[in-house]
Amino acid sequence: MTELLLFRDIDEPGLATIDVYKRRGGYQSLERALRMPREEVLQNLLDSGLRGRGGAGFAMGKKVSFLPKGAIDKYLVCNADESEPGTFKDRELMQKSPHMLVEGMIIAAYAADANRSFIYIRGEYEQQAEILERAIAEAEAAGYLGERILGSDHSQSLVLHRGAGAYICGEETGLLDSLEGKRGNPRLKPPFPANQGLYQGPTLINNVETLATVPTIIKLGGSEYAKFGTETSTGTKLVSVSGNVQRPGNYEIELGIPSREIIYGLAGGPERGRDVKLWFPGGSSSPVLEKKDLDLPYDFDAMAKAGSMLGSGAIIVVDDSVRVVDVALKLAKFYRHESCGKCTPCREGTNWTVKMLQRVESGEATPMDLDIIASVQDQIMGNCLCVLGDAMAMPVSSMVVKFRDEFEAHIEERRAANGLGAPHFDAPLDAALHGAPSGVHA
Amino acid sequence: MPRPEVRMVTFSIDGREVEAPEGAMLVDGAKYGDVEIPVFCYEPKLGNPVGACRMCLVEIEGIPKLQTACSTPVKDGMVVHTQTARVREAQNSVVEFLLVNHPLDCPVCDKGGECPLQDITFGWGRGISRMVEPKRHFKKPLELSPLIAIDRERCILCYRCVRFSQEVSEDYQLILHERGAHSYVGTFDAHPYVAPFSGNIIELCPVGALTSRPYRFRARPWDIEGAGTVCTLCPSQCNVELTVRDERVLRVLGRDHAGVDDGWLCDKGRFAYQSVHSEERIVEPLVRDGDALRPASWERALSAAASALGKARGSVGAVGGGTTTNEEGFLLQRLLREQLSSGDLDVRQRGSDAVPLPLQRALSAPALQATVPDLEFAHTVLVLGTEPVDEMASLELRIRKGVRRHGVQLAVATPRPSALDPAAKLWLRYAPGAEHAFLAALEAALGASGDVDALCAAADADPKAVRALAEMLIEDGRGDVVILWGERVSADALPALLNVAGRLGLSGRDGAGLLEVPSSANARGLRESGFQPNAGPGLSELPTAGRSAREIAAAAADGQLAALYLLHTDPARDLGDAPLWRRAMARASTVVAHASFLTDELREHATVVFPAESYAEKEGTVTHPDGRLQRLRPGIGHPGAVRAEWSVLAELERRVRAGVPYGDPIPHTLPLTGPMASVQLFEAVPFYAGLTLEEIGGRGVRWQERAAAEAFPAGPTGPFDVGEPGAEPSPNGVLRLGTYRSIWASPEVEVSPALKFLSARAQLEVSPADADRLGIENGDRVTVSADDRTVSATVALRGNVPAGTVFLGEGLLEGGASELSNGVPQTVAVERTAVEVPA
Repeated sequence: MTELLLFRDIDEPGLATIDVYKRRGGYQSLERALRMPREEVLQNLLDSGLRGRGGAGFAMGKKVSFLPKGAIDKYLVCNADESEPGTFKDRELMQKSPHMLVEGMIIAAYAADANRSFIYIRGEYEQQAEILERAIAEAEAAGYLGERILGSDHSQSLVLHRGAGAYICGEETGLLDSLEGKRGNPRLKPPFPANQGLYQGPTLINNVETLATVPTIIKLGGSEYAKFGTETSTGTKLVSVSGNVQRPGNYEIELGIPSREIIYGLAGGPERGRDVKLWFPGGSSSPVLEKKDLDLPYDFDAMAKAGSMLGSGAIIVVDDSVRVVDVALKLAKFYRHESCGKCTPCREGTNWTVKMLQRVESGEATPMDLDIIASVQDQIMGNCLCVLGDAMAMPVSSMVVKFRDEFEAHIEERRAANGLGAPHFDAPLDAALHGAPSGVHA
Repeated sequence: MPRPEVRMVTFSIDGREVEAPEGAMLVDGAKYGDVEIPVFCYEPKLGNPVGACRMCLVEIEGIPKLQTACSTPVKDGMVVHTQTARVREAQNSVVEFLLVNHPLDCPVCDKGGECPLQDITFGWGRGISRMVEPKRHFKKPLELSPLIAIDRERCILCYRCVRFSQEVSEDYQLILHERGAHSYVGTFDAHPYVAPFSGNIIELCPVGALTSRPYRFRARPWDIEGAGTVCTLCPSQCNVELTVRDERVLRVLGRDHAGVDDGWLCDKGRFAYQSVHSEERIVEPLVRDGDALRPASWERALSAAASALGKARGSVGAVGGGTTTNEEGFLLQRLLREQLSSGDLDVRQRGSDAVPLPLQRALSAPALQATVPDLEFAHTVLVLGTEPVDEMASLELRIRKGVRRHGVQLAVATPRPSALDPAAKLWLRYAPGAEHAFLAALEAALGASGDVDALCAAADADPKAVRALAEMLIEDGRGDVVILWGERVSADALPALLNVAGRLGLSGRDGAGLLEVPSSANARGLRESGFQPNAGPGLSELPTAGRSAREIAAAAADGQLAALYLLHTDPARDLGDAPLWRRAMARASTVVAHASFLTDELREHATVVFPAESYAEKEGTVTHPDGRLQRLRPGIGHPGAVRAEWSVLAELERRVRAGVPYGDPIPHTLPLTGPMASVQLFEAVPFYAGLTLEEIGGRGVRWQERAAAEAFPAGPTGPFDVGEPGAEPSPNGVLRLGTYRSIWASPEVEVSPALKFLSARAQLEVSPADADRLGIENGDRVTVSADDRTVSATVALRGNVPAGTVFLGEGLLEGGASELSNGVPQTVAVERTAVEVPA
């Protein structure tokens, strides 16, 4: 059993109130941090090796150190727009232990020398927003927020902002635009938020879980924290397990334990008589893994090596009762719906992919369409303004490649069931594939 | 912000070593190595790149992912590849994606043949299409505005038009609705996109999604020719390219010139070409025959004009404006001064007095002259007594660009609320016509002697704001300040303006100075050519000064002038005080006019009307308000019997001179060609000396930047005697009348079918407080009266009009402020017109 760091007291009644939180040792890390020089807090963050828990897995301490020094307006923004399908860990954290996030944000802001901070929470998290509002008010009343906190030279304001329900606003620059009151479209990078973020000022943006881990790091000390997990994936991680498992939910695990232990040991695995067909290791945007990958250690590097990613730590399990075509189509539709439309490959690629998968689903496609689907995913990957396009292309591409036989069998089956003969698209398709001139649309 | 210094760096592109300016984006840097990188959304005129279309992906060594060349600045030693398999694949992909939803209706698309999407598909596309699904469908085409059609199926969502509306013209009307593949361009609530610069989005659109409604289906790119010239509908003198088919102008496009227009055109410049081919245009000479003007031969018209003018020798007044070229102004002043012994000629439309020559020389001194690009890089720009969007449209965009992109601090000091107020760091109001008191107050606030508060009271300006303005202007003493001032700043206020410039040390400072917005398109050129009452060619001194425009009107109305010569101006409309001008024209025994359209006054009083050339037909030079001489080049032939006007003026001179007694010296030869007229002008103006048409070329040349500028007659350097400004009428109980001339108040707008809907109407801008007091509401009809004159107008409530002042447009087809005043401060009474309620 993993030693719990974030979830140690998670089911303690009343933990969302400052009294219970403090009784459980809350805000002691803040007091300790404010007595340290900023550099020491930062050093602890660097030593901890903590990697961002939002999806990209970038070293948090390094991100803090990128912010320019000096007396300019700097911002800390907490990304609580937890919208990735399958991910619901931040929700539980904010709902049950909001002060852990608030405390983490104050320490992180102190390290980054930022005086204005924001929590951008997804609009659907209404209850969590109310809980956070209360927690912020309590922290203000207790003097943890405001001018010269606990007699130190650090002052900080914290504002909660509710989004309006767009997945793209979880992308950090889209989030910043939205927070500024604009249409939530991703910005071109560079400049990165660390240099020019919110209102053109240097901005540190981190995920809820990342910031909520900061008090623990200060409590244990950075290098002590780094002893958890593996060398490159330190610490513990909240994992949201969903899909065809018997005990879906959030689990805190030490990074590096075998994936099977999470899916079967903690979440109970699929129902009796069913078997894992595929699983998403890091949210719906991670390339899928198969049953044979279940023994891989669950950490950033092992997942990357297997051609996928740890992402936000959301494991979605799909068992053999589900058709992979449906999974792919459902995913593609989600990303088409959420594409902001700013850049070409994502806007057109997600749209086209859905149309092709629909034909596959209804049996109006040929196996050659699967080649086109795979090639369109390749054309999206790496060519977009932000990672939303890749977020569809990676899993769809991995499904089409790894489960090609099932796709082909499905097409045959549906075509036979529909009483269709040869697919009526084959003439233009043939022409297209054999390099005939364009313009011969059906 | 001073202009950044440019350093050259060396980088490698496709194996070639290329030198390019540091900081240039790779797309532009690549051009130095003759490498073209395809783009759709990239357009530097729109500001920072957005990297949305992904067409410009390139490979840069050391960076794992492909990068957008539009947003990656060139760096020393960078190694770039644009031809690798990976880059080709990305380019092919983006083209394929763009075509997924783009209809292939090129054969019936206006853009076909001049379409970047076609070109890039041909150059960088895969050449096959794999998409078999149905495309996106929209209703099409729709009216985005009366001027612009939108075809949303063709749109590739490059954001250019939206960025223009949001970040260049800042009218904030265009937005993207919805998201993802459902995105489409439109306005909130589907209101028409009507804005002074809206037409630019047609030119920005890289596909046929936004097309000009007047141009739709009129021509294909292989039917047309482009003819470069200069638009002379306002002092902006934007460089344009006329699209010509079969001797007809079908379209006007921008011809980017960073020193003049920055590549933008206003909608008047873009669509008023229709007036060139208006049915109403005069295309043959007209001569009075009893009560009517009748078409006549050139021979008859010329001899009638020559003999009538010859008879009126010593008693001829001339006013000019509109599209008059330097050459025409020069020839007419020579005709008047040397052959007709009359020095009464003027181009200045506002104010009662001519500007004294020493002041003119001081104001036009090369050392004090700001240029148009200076507006973009100054620390502070002060807009004084002018509304750029109405009076010199393209400057508005330049000022906004400076504020938005280069951190220029903008101050606006005008009587009337300005469109630039929201962009300004500081704006303040003073009473209409109170420039004298206001500038004296500003000078005092800058440290001169004088009582700021008393002077502010006289100007009805807020002393706190004036002091804040002074502070802003002298900030740190580092300020490159540009003062953009309009002709409404009356002659008596100019000494104070010069003193302010002196106190700010603007003279001789690069990037700082004064820039005048004259009221007619080529006013600067005409004044420098000698077409003004108190200076000859080259601002040379005259033994005796002639009459100014207003004095000409008064003298003619009084019977002291026998003949009036109207060169491209409709005085009742352009020069204010219409009743006085009507009397003047009625009283003068001879009225000779060059005009394109007949007015009631001409119909009744003209002796001879020569058909005027449109700017599309003209040959000659004009001088931009910042001193840039530019060439007008004929894009089309003359319609009907229209002749080159320089030749008409030369022929008149020949005929009038034939009456000169034998033996009198003939000081010059008459021009036989347009370029000869130019040469004579260049010889007559010392600071134009040595100019050739070749040197002016297609981009123009600022005379201040040539060696001959040394011949400019130096004026006094000041300080100048400011004089005693008079107090403005107090706002208690009476309403002060302020005037403005809308960009849409011109005959070219009224006769262009596409633009007609924008024609300016008599609108009275009233503050809510005054409206309350008078019991009038938005949209009410009212009468506005001053002394014994009355006009009617529609009430427009404007929240930011200062209480106690109302504003009424001038230069209208009918009514308006020109009927009430000559721009001289005046009070008016406003009364609601009784409306009969239908039973």
